[in-house]
Amino acid sequence: MGGTLIVEDLHSSVEGKEILRGVNLTVKPGEFHVVMGPNGSGKSTLALTIAGHPKYEVTGGRIVFKGRDVTKMPPHERAKLGIFLAFQQPHEVEGVRIMEFLQQVLAELKGMDGAEAYDLIIRTAKDMWFREEDLYRPINVGFSGGERKRLELLQAVLIKPDLLILDEPDSGVDVDSMSLISRKIEQLNEEGTSVILITHYGRILKHLEPEDIKVHVMKDGRIVMTRGGEFIDEIERRGFQDIFKDCCGGD
Amino acid sequence: MEDARSIIENQIEELAERNREPEWMTEIRRKALEAFLKAPHNDPVISEEELLQFIARPEIKGLPEKIESLDDLPEDMRNLLDRLGISEVEQKYLAGMAVQTDTGIVYNQFLKEWAEKGLTVLPTEEAVRKYPDVVKSHFLRLIDASESKLAAYHTAVWNGGIFLHVREGLKVPFPLHLFFLIQESALAQAPHIIIIAEPNSEFHLIEGCTSPVLVRHSLHLDMTEAYIGDGAKARLTVLQNWPEYVHTRPMTRAKVGRNASFINTTVTLGSGKSNVANPKYTVDEGGRVELNGIILGQKDYYIDLGGEMKLIGRGASGLNASKSVIMDRSRVITRGVIEAMAPGTKGHISCDALLMSDEAEMETYPGLRSRVSEAELSHEAAIGRIREEELFYLMSRGLDEEKATQLIVKGFLAPMLKDIPAEFLVEIRKIVEMAVSGGM
Repeated sequence: MGGTLIVEDLHSSVEGKEILRGVNLTVKPGEFHVVMGPNGSGKSTLALTIAGHPKYEVTGGRIVFKGRDVTKMPPHERAKLGIFLAFQQPHEVEGVRIMEFLQQVLAELKGMDGAEAYDLIIRTAKDMWFREEDLYRPINVGFSGGERKRLELLQAVLIKPDLLILDEPDSGVDVDSMSLISRKIEQLNEEGTSVILITHYGRILKHLEPEDIKVHVMKDGRIVMTRGGEFIDEIERRGFQDIFKDCCGGD
Repeated sequence: MEDARSIIENQIEELAERNREPEWMTEIRRKALEAFLKAPHNDPVISEEELLQFIARPEIKGLPEKIESLDDLPEDMRNLLDRLGISEVEQKYLAGMAVQTDTGIVYNQFLKEWAEKGLTVLPTEEAVRKYPDVVKSHFLRLIDASESKLAAYHTAVWNGGIFLHVREGLKVPFPLHLFFLIQESALAQAPHIIIIAEPNSEFHLIEGCTSPVLVRHSLHLDMTEAYIGDGAKARLTVLQNWPEYVHTRPMTRAKVGRNASFINTTVTLGSGKSNVANPKYTVDEGGRVELNGIILGQKDYYIDLGGEMKLIGRGASGLNASKSVIMDRSRVITRGVIEAMAPGTKGHISCDALLMSDEAEMETYPGLRSRVSEAELSHEAAIGRIREEELFYLMSRGLDEEKATQLIVKGFLAPMLKDIPAEFLVEIRKIVEMAVSGGM
């Protein structure tokens, strides 16, 4: 377990448009980081760039994980190194059944054989409110928002990554699913997974002590403030426009 | 053309003697030769000139004369078998094109038991001698030899093929994989297959195998005539894996009786250089026909899959569904036609294609003709590529691009493979994987 993530002066563009303009972030093993910020500030781009989405071109800086420069590494190798991104809007993959996909992933990442993986998947999925027949549906096809987010977490729980990046796991999710999801995130973190949580709300973190959390606020493609967990309440109370007066003179 | 005449004449006499065939059959051949000289030629790939060259020199040079063990196979084919991990039985019957006896006995034993119940399976040549009356009334009754040069040429020189006759009401509970007869037929250039399903009979015939078939000729013309009696339920699954030097022109005709069903699934794993097929079906009252096509287009191969269904009886229905994975510089065309000729008929054409390269081409021409007012005809087509987001999703979980692509392609084809017995599925999936990663 473990491995530090170092993001150094990261610049990233989509279709020629620069979105990240020099992000610096260090996440040590087992740490819990929250990234907040208004829409369009670059939160999802940061997540997708770290995961290696081909559309996000790194135009400057670098990403280092476990001492290795992963900036140019293809996404599957980053996954094998222990990086996992739970998507904000998980895509449908027509025709590919969840069970078969997860069995192959577990074979690839953990060297697990099919039967062993099958048992683990069934057990873990039940614990996360999936019925067995759900696992024979194609990935995300016809899934509700809540189901999609639960499926992301199910994968994270099965894989137990060293670094879990969650892009708004709370959006489009009902109250019950949200409490399940937050419980699973906290559980993974307790077991040693480092977490970068992108969210608009602090309410997903019920059981974590504020002193165990680092909160970053993004604006215009940069992290402009980093504080402790208690900052979440303040952001919720004051809103980003007011908060930005403290750091950046407002705009 | 005169050269072709004398070549075909010689072939006819040779076949007549070798097969010890009755005069009426030789007469059919001779008539077909006359038809050949006059018939139109309209192949999209093979010109008339090329056809005449094929006729003059049907065999490929450099292939082994006789194959008695795997060691006799060309090296690339042997390597392919190893990589496919093709089952031992299949390897044996592939090697056993000269007839592999040990497994052969098992099948003969099975066929003997079922023969008493009314299942007849014979090489077509033998059926001509043994059941002349039955063959006479079912040979070339669904197709006119003069409709094209290829049909006429097939009829003149047909050899190999199987004759399947299922007695009224007989239900064969497991799929018939007629390995040997089929394999020998593949060696022949123009096998003729006759299927007679008597009323209320049921069976599933699987032709071919997933291993690449070694053929000795560069043009393969097989013809299938299927007579599906009232209330019968027949399934014909054809697995094709042709080597790249062969052009194949399967000709299928089926007559589907009242309340009968005929499910014709064709899995084209290796199409050969070109594969042009336009099976034709007529469907009587309450009958149903399904043509399911799975197509893997590779290299610069040309695949043209038609399918004509005439719904002649009230309430008849037809489905023409295909799924194509089109790679490299290959070109796939689908052109199903469904004609509603009676009230209450239903027809649907669906065509899905996954384009895997910028140079691959797909065209689809659905044809729906309604001659009556109360008919439901519809079609849908979707030609797409693997989306970047799908691929990234799978890759972000640790699968490399090749494995992620394979998973998506297998998933795309899966709904069409539901009727294929499990023992073939493993190999079909492996062939798809290898084709996708460019390993074939």
